[in-house]
Amino acid sequence: MSIHQLKSHFPWITLLVLVAIVGINDPNFLKPVNLLSLAGDIVPLFIMALGLTFAIYIGGIDLSAQSMANMITVVASVYLASFGPWVALLCVAAGFALGMVSGYVTTKLLVPSFISTLAVGGVCFSMAKWLSGNRALNMEAAQRDSTFGWMIGHTGMIPNELFIAAALLALCIFIERRTTLGRALKAVGAGELAAAASGVNVARYKILAFAISGALAAVAGLLFAVKLSGGAPTIANGFLLPAIVAVLVGGTPLTGGVGGVINTAIGTLLVAVIRASMLYFGIEATQQQMVFGLVLIVAIALTIDRSKLRIVK
Amino acid sequence: MYELKAVDKKFPGVHALKSVDFHVKRGEIVGLVGENGAGKSTLMKVIYGAYLPDGGTVSINGKPVRLQNPRQAMEMGIGMVFQEQSLIANLTVMENIFLGYEAQFVRFGVINWKAMADAARKQLAKVKLDIDPAMVTSQLSFAQRQLVELAKVLTLEERVQGDLVILLDEPTSVLAEDEVKMLFSIIRELTSRASFIFVSHRMDEVMELSDRIYVMKDGQVVDTVERGKSSPEAIQQKMVGRNVDKEYYREHRQKSFDASAELLKLEGVSLAGRIRDIALTLHRGEVLCLVGTEGSGREAILRTIYGMLTPTAGKVTIKGEAMDRFTARAAVERGIGYVPRERKIEGIVAGMNVYENMTLSQMGSYSKGGVLNVGAEKALARDWISRLAIKAHSEYADCGNLSGGNQQKVVLAKWRSGGSDIMLLDHPTRGLDIGAKEDVYEMIRDMSDDGAGVVLVADTLEEAIGLSHTILVIKDGEIQKRFACEPGAKPTLFDLLHYMI
Repeated sequence: MSIHQLKSHFPWITLLVLVAIVGINDPNFLKPVNLLSLAGDIVPLFIMALGLTFAIYIGGIDLSAQSMANMITVVASVYLASFGPWVALLCVAAGFALGMVSGYVTTKLLVPSFISTLAVGGVCFSMAKWLSGNRALNMEAAQRDSTFGWMIGHTGMIPNELFIAAALLALCIFIERRTTLGRALKAVGAGELAAAASGVNVARYKILAFAISGALAAVAGLLFAVKLSGGAPTIANGFLLPAIVAVLVGGTPLTGGVGGVINTAIGTLLVAVIRASMLYFGIEATQQQMVFGLVLIVAIALTIDRSKLRIVK
Repeated sequence: MYELKAVDKKFPGVHALKSVDFHVKRGEIVGLVGENGAGKSTLMKVIYGAYLPDGGTVSINGKPVRLQNPRQAMEMGIGMVFQEQSLIANLTVMENIFLGYEAQFVRFGVINWKAMADAARKQLAKVKLDIDPAMVTSQLSFAQRQLVELAKVLTLEERVQGDLVILLDEPTSVLAEDEVKMLFSIIRELTSRASFIFVSHRMDEVMELSDRIYVMKDGQVVDTVERGKSSPEAIQQKMVGRNVDKEYYREHRQKSFDASAELLKLEGVSLAGRIRDIALTLHRGEVLCLVGTEGSGREAILRTIYGMLTPTAGKVTIKGEAMDRFTARAAVERGIGYVPRERKIEGIVAGMNVYENMTLSQMGSYSKGGVLNVGAEKALARDWISRLAIKAHSEYADCGNLSGGNQQKVVLAKWRSGGSDIMLLDHPTRGLDIGAKEDVYEMIRDMSDDGAGVVLVADTLEEAIGLSHTILVIKDGEIQKRFACEPGAKPTLFDLLHYMI
C-alpha cells in the first residue's frame, strides 16, 4: 500500500494512536463512562462540523457557523416561552434561510464564500446582540426540561445527545451517498466545471449546501442553548476553529470533492481526544485555541489538493 | 551539440516518453512528427525545460545539464516559438520582444524606450519584418505575430554565448502558402546562427524543411529519416503503425442525411464580441463541422447552442421549439449533449467513478424523489462499458485514472445513454491515440446511423473534411463559406484555408 493510498486512512489511525497515548498516560481515560461523556460533550461541535462538511465538500467554507449558533442560542432563549417546542423549527428554518443567503451571495453575486459567510456571520452576531439586548439570557428551567429535556438526558449510561448525533449522521450519510443532492455536491466539489457542462444546476446545489450548513449550525446552537439553559451572543465563541479542524483532520480537504460526513465524525473524535489530552498534559483552556490553530495549519497543509489550487492568495 | 539520451518521462497512468534518444547538430533543421499523444509535446517540454525528465541525460556540447525551468533553458540557448502564440496582445511589439529582459534598457529605474525600439528593430530585421516596434501587437496579422515570436526568441543570440536551439511548434498552422514559404526561407538563412527543431502536422512541410526527421509513436522514436530518404506515405505509416487511407475517417459509412428532418436551427445568432449573425441548420444524421482558427468563434457557437452562453440577438430553435431560456439544463432536457474540448476539466469528473459520471447529466432518470437507484446506475455503466469496450476495471473505476480515449468514451456514453440526439463535439479526438480516435470516428458514424445530428469542431482540418456532411468556415465570428462534403466530392485543405485566414 502506497503513501497515497494510506493517506485516506490517516485520520482513524491517528485517532487510535492518540487514544492509546492518552490511555497509557492515564488508564482512567479509557473507561467507557469517561469516553461516553467525552463523546457526549462534543456533540454540539460535531453537529456544527457536520454542517460545515457540506460547505467544505463543495470547495467552499462557512465561517458564519459560530455566529449562527450564537444567534440561535439567543433566539431559542427568547422565543421558547412563546413558541414552545415549535421554537426548534424556527431555529432550523432561520439557519437554513441564512445559509441560503450565503449561498445566494456566493453563487449569484459571485462573492467568495469565505467573505459571504463572514458577512452573514456578522449579521447573525449583530442580530444576536440586538435580540438579547447584549446580555446573557436564561431559559425558564421547567419549560426547558419539559420541551427539550430529553435532549440532554441519559438512556442507561449513554447520553441522549449521542443518539441525536447518530441520527443526524445517518441522515447526512444518506444524503451524501444515496441522493441526487449528495451526488451533485460531490460532482461540484470534485469537478464543478464538468458538473456544469453536464447540465447540473450548480448554483442551486451550492446554495443548498450552504443552507444545510446553516441549518445544522442552528441545530448545534439549539442543543447548546438547551445544555446551558440559556443563550448569549458570544456563548458559542471558540467553536468555529475546532469545527473546521474537525472537518479537515477528518479528511475533507478545503478543495472539496473527497472525504465526507463519516470523515467529520472521526475528525470530531480527534478534536475531542486532542482536547482531553490537553487537559492531561496540563495545557490551560486559554491556550487551547493556539493548539487548534496549529493543528488546523498542519491539517490544511497535509490535506489540500495542490493540483486543484494552482494559485494561492 | 544538443543531445538527449534515454530520456524517460512518466505521468500518472501514462508513460509519455520511453527512453528517447534525440540530438541536434549545429545549424541543422530537425523535424519531429507523430500523432497527437505520441509524445511530441512532452519531448519538446523536456527540451525547453518545462518538464524535468524522470530518467536519462540531457547534454549540451557533451556536458550534462539539468534544466529546471524554461528560463534556465533560455540561458543555455534553447528557445521556444509557441504554437498558441505567447505574445501579449495589448503590449507593443518591442515590449513583447524584451518581456522579462527589460533591465538592459533601464536607467535609474526608467525604461529608455528609444534604446529598446532600436534594439527591437534589430531583432525584427533578423526575420525581415519591417514594422514599427511601438505598434501594439494585436494590430499585427497572424503571420507577422509568428515572426515577432521568432524575433523574440532570437534575442537569445545576444544574450547567450554559444549555440542556439530553437523549437518551432506548428509554426505554419495559421499561415497562408506564401507566408509559409517566406518563413521557411528565413529559417534556412538563420541556420548560420541556430539549429531548429520543427514540429508540424503537415508532412510535406516537414519533408521540405528538415535535414533529418524523427518519427515518434507511443512515446518512442520509431525512426529517424534523412532528407530525401523516404516518402510522406512511408513516414505516415510509421507514425500510425499501419496504412492510413480514407477508411480512417470511415467515409464509406457516411450516408446522406434527411434534409427534411431539422433538429436545430440558428438564425441571426450573435454574441457581443464573439460571434455575429450565425445561421445554420442541423438535420438528423448530419455531421456539421465548424472550421476556423483558434478564437474564430467555433466554441462560442457550441456553447450558445448548449445554453452556457446567452446570445445577444437571434433565435435558436431546437426540434421546432424556440429557446427563450439559455441554461445547460434546458439544453440537456431537449436532448443536447456536449463533449467539451477540455475533457479532464469539463468532460469527466475526476474522483467520481464510471457510473457516477455517466448518470451525472441524467440523475433524474435514475432516482425517485431525489433518492438514487444505484443498482440501475451500475447496470447502465456495465452495459456501456461492454458496448463501447471501455477499458476500466469495473464501474467503480475512478474516471480520473482512465486513459484519454476511455474518458472520452465515458463522456460519450453519458450523453448517448441518456438519448441525446443533438451532439456537440468540441475536439473529441484531442490528445487521443490512433486507436481511440478511430473508436470515436466509429461512434460518430453510429450516431448518424441512429438519426442523431452532430455539430463537430474537429482537431484537424483533415478530420473535419473526412467526417463531415457539411462544413461551415468561421472567421472572426462570422460564417464565411459553406461546403457540402459528400464522399468523393470533399473540399481540399486549401479550399478551407483560403476562407479561414
